[in-house]
Amino acid sequence: MPVMVELQSGPEMKVETLVKRLREEVGAEWVLTSPSDLRTYECDGLTGWRQAPIAVVLPATTDEVSRVLALCHLLGVPFVARGSGTGLSGGALPVEDGIVIGLSRMRSILSVDLENERVVVQPGVPNLQVTQAVQAAGYFYAPDPSSQRVCSIGGNVAENSGGAHCLKYGFTTNHVTAATLVLSDGRVAHLGSQCPDSPGLDLLGVLIGSEGTLGVVTEVTLRIVRSPERIQTLLAAFDSTDGAGQAVAAIIAAGIVPAAMEMMDRATIEAVEATMHAGYPNCGAALLVELDGPAPECESLFQEVSALCQRVGATEVRVAADERERALLWKGRRGAFSAMGRVSPDYYVQDGVVPRSRLAEVLAGIGQLEAKHGLRVANVFHAGDGNLHPLILYDRRSPGGAGRARELAEDILGLCLAAGGSLTGEHGVGRDKVCQMPRLFSVSDQEVMCRVRTAFDPSGLANPGKLLPTPRLCGEHPGIYRPHPIELAGQAERL
Amino acid sequence: MKAPSAPELTELLGPGAVLPSTDALPVRVHPSSVEQVSALLALANSRGWVVLPQGGGTKAGWGGGTGICDLVLEMTGLNQLVEHEPGDLICVAGAGMRLGRLQEIVSRAPGYQQRLMLDAPQGSRATLGGLVATRASGPLRTRYGTMRDLLLGAQFVLADGTIARTGGKVVKNVAGYDLDKLLVGSNGSLAVLVEVALRLHPVPSGRASVVLAHATPQRAASFLAALRRVPAVPSIAEVLWPERTVLVQLESSPEGAERQAELVAAIDPEARQLDDAEWEHWHRTLSSRPWEGDGVVAGLALPLSRIPNLLFLAEQMDQKGVDFSLSLRGTVGVGEIRLPSVEGTVRGFREALESMDGELEIHRGSGVVGQMGSTLSDPISRTLSAAVKRALDPRGTLAPWRVTEPSPFSSGAADGPDCG
Ligand SMILES: Cc1cc2nc3c(=O)[nH]c(=O)nc-3n(C[C@H](O)[C@H](O)[C@H](O)COP(=O)(O)OP(=O)(O)OC[C@H]3O[C@@H](n4cnc5c(N)ncnc54)[C@H](O)[C@@H]3O)c2cc1C
Repeated sequence: MPVMVELQSGPEMKVETLVKRLREEVGAEWVLTSPSDLRTYECDGLTGWRQAPIAVVLPATTDEVSRVLALCHLLGVPFVARGSGTGLSGGALPVEDGIVIGLSRMRSILSVDLENERVVVQPGVPNLQVTQAVQAAGYFYAPDPSSQRVCSIGGNVAENSGGAHCLKYGFTTNHVTAATLVLSDGRVAHLGSQCPDSPGLDLLGVLIGSEGTLGVVTEVTLRIVRSPERIQTLLAAFDSTDGAGQAVAAIIAAGIVPAAMEMMDRATIEAVEATMHAGYPNCGAALLVELDGPAPECESLFQEVSALCQRVGATEVRVAADERERALLWKGRRGAFSAMGRVSPDYYVQDGVVPRSRLAEVLAGIGQLEAKHGLRVANVFHAGDGNLHPLILYDRRSPGGAGRARELAEDILGLCLAAGGSLTGEHGVGRDKVCQMPRLFSVSDQEVMCRVRTAFDPSGLANPGKLLPTPRLCGEHPGIYRPHPIELAGQAERL
Repeated sequence: MKAPSAPELTELLGPGAVLPSTDALPVRVHPSSVEQVSALLALANSRGWVVLPQGGGTKAGWGGGTGICDLVLEMTGLNQLVEHEPGDLICVAGAGMRLGRLQEIVSRAPGYQQRLMLDAPQGSRATLGGLVATRASGPLRTRYGTMRDLLLGAQFVLADGTIARTGGKVVKNVAGYDLDKLLVGSNGSLAVLVEVALRLHPVPSGRASVVLAHATPQRAASFLAALRRVPAVPSIAEVLWPERTVLVQLESSPEGAERQAELVAAIDPEARQLDDAEWEHWHRTLSSRPWEGDGVVAGLALPLSRIPNLLFLAEQMDQKGVDFSLSLRGTVGVGEIRLPSVEGTVRGFREALESMDGELEIHRGSGVVGQMGSTLSDPISRTLSAAVKRALDPRGTLAPWRVTEPSPFSSGAADGPDCG
């Protein structure tokens, strides 16, 4: 599709040409350029970062996405894909002089194949709709981010999203078997296969979690899972997060893999009670444990889990007697972020990972950091896989409030890394943590990632400035890695 | 290009690291540190030598077989345990450690019962790095997946000697690209693995098993379809042909396993539970079965809905007197088949499988019948795979014939010195 474009004619001409050609490709009403329209797309769930794009394009088909990217390629315009904009790392933050490709019109479920346990969807389909489409037939789609009513499958693929039940069932990467990827020059690749363990390089595996930097995903094949026969849920109350942490360790040591194991500390429980009255016990920490599977297995393990909780000092164990009570136990957990939004003017969600055996120690360290920085931290997190979500409560209007919150957040990451953990368990690097990457990865590690990125996107137009640090964003020596005192003392090393 | 010589390599690595051999290529070296691997690769890369990393040598025929190379890196010297943290269900070890040794180490942790849930053929002699590179798996694939699901992080060396890491040692991690996935199944063509971090699983305390014997294809297929619907989570569900047998293993708490086995046995009046001795008898040979006897061995995969077609085909082959042996993970749609080393037979089987939307990959015997694997049908993915290979190994130093996918009907470079 050869087009004549005056590339030489200055930035304004370029924008005009771009918008005109975009309108030809997808229809004028699907190209937004007015400042009020663009405002919606200025940020994702990490609202502290904002940038208006030149335009927002809303394509309806793979072919349209391909033509839009071919055009971007021709004109050298960077692009950022956007699903539902719930990301918490600034992954869908627009780039200056770039466009946003919104996938919100591509929200059809294309096929449901129960016999082969596959569902094919467009990228804008909200996560929960997949389960809704198959649950009557006794199946579900396992990855269940707390944002599942809203967040899109395309966003899930880009972030390799997890959820409470990923402890047992695995993450998005374990549930996607094929994807259509439009490359930054407009070519369309079909990655993966209808067969498992297909020979050849696992390009699909690299795509999942690539945060929109390898191209735009326009179709996804998902694996669905048979619904368990029985689900049982309990909430155990403890005096402190230490006690709850011991229960986590005891359950894992007993060889039990719960479907979900979530922890909430006192600050979280108080906020949840104040705003949504879930009826949680008044305690220092609560552990929500859910088991599922064949009824006999589920029932015997459930007994064992309750006994273990009691043995390590649970002050109370509440068992959900029916679906209604189960929903109530989950209500507080699912609503914890929004509850926090109501008790604190602002909060920042950190997303660090620690080895599960070191939960108690890191939580104690976070407690010390709270005191040091004079800010409160509420912990509500996926305890079973060591994925912490400390919510740092602050007030942006108080002098230095945001700065202190950021420092505290970075110190928490330092604790996670010193314990042998990771920068992010499910929210991604995005723009938020791009300058933190050098704390975990050496220059060579990052260079290898960069080589792979370039193999997919030689032009560098796909979501630039995300995932990998650049000197422009982070300075010549990207990142602000400072060895943690434990590392200096030789008691810990970064992996 | 100056060929590698034992004295030059000895100078680089010190005495003992270059294995005695005849004058013929390839030279075999036995590095014992990451730095040595890096130095060797940097040298090889600058000289234009072709290098083949090798683990236990149990799967040398995989991924396009052995080809012509100048240097073989025997990785079994990098076999140290770095960390086993039973409370986290993880371990970190040198990529040259053999699986058997790792299992021994992790099973010794007092107060815990855990294992790496991988029962690939000849698994105990295979190295961890080799198992990652080949993505080999066995009957337990049914419940626990492959190395794709078990690898948490890796340290590796690129062809130019760059030492790098990906992933980590925690079970949940999305920092950076998931290059672990790229290394799994790359057959040594992208990088040399030097250290791996792996997820372990608890060993369930109870086990029960069920057999359906003397099944027709129809009956076996219906049994499998029903097995996917009953509330039981098998850890093994192997279909064996021409034995016309389906074997199911349930693992859970003792009573949980028992109750699940009852449900499974109730699917078909001919199905029955096995006692421990009977199960042991079957289980002993389960993962090595397709490798026993002569012939070509290939991995196969197909959509679940096509399993009946495959079983009908197998039945027909048996009636025609073809000497073959099929092992299929019946609730997943992957397995292996041993076929006679006859080009027409292999080709015929491949075509039949492809007509079922399935795929075939030769693991043993490509020297006889050529690679004849299925190819990726998508041209853009092929171009991308080649671009990734070029990005990581621009000079084609690492097993370049193990291209990212087999080319159809090309002979697997059977002439020339064998690296295997
Ligand atoms: C209240 C709340 C709770 C949350 N809970 C969880 C949780 O439990 N677990 C979890 O993992 N996350 C959670 N998240 C984070 C977020 O919901 C997930 O990251 C989600 O996958 C983002 O989906 P999205 O459609 O909103 O993506 P967006 O925010 O629109 O985009 C995210 C990234 O994906 C890229 N992208 C989007 N679509 C495509 C596409 N089609 N092709 C290529 N790239 C694309 C974007 O460029 C961006 O980099 C939560 C967020 C909120 C606000």
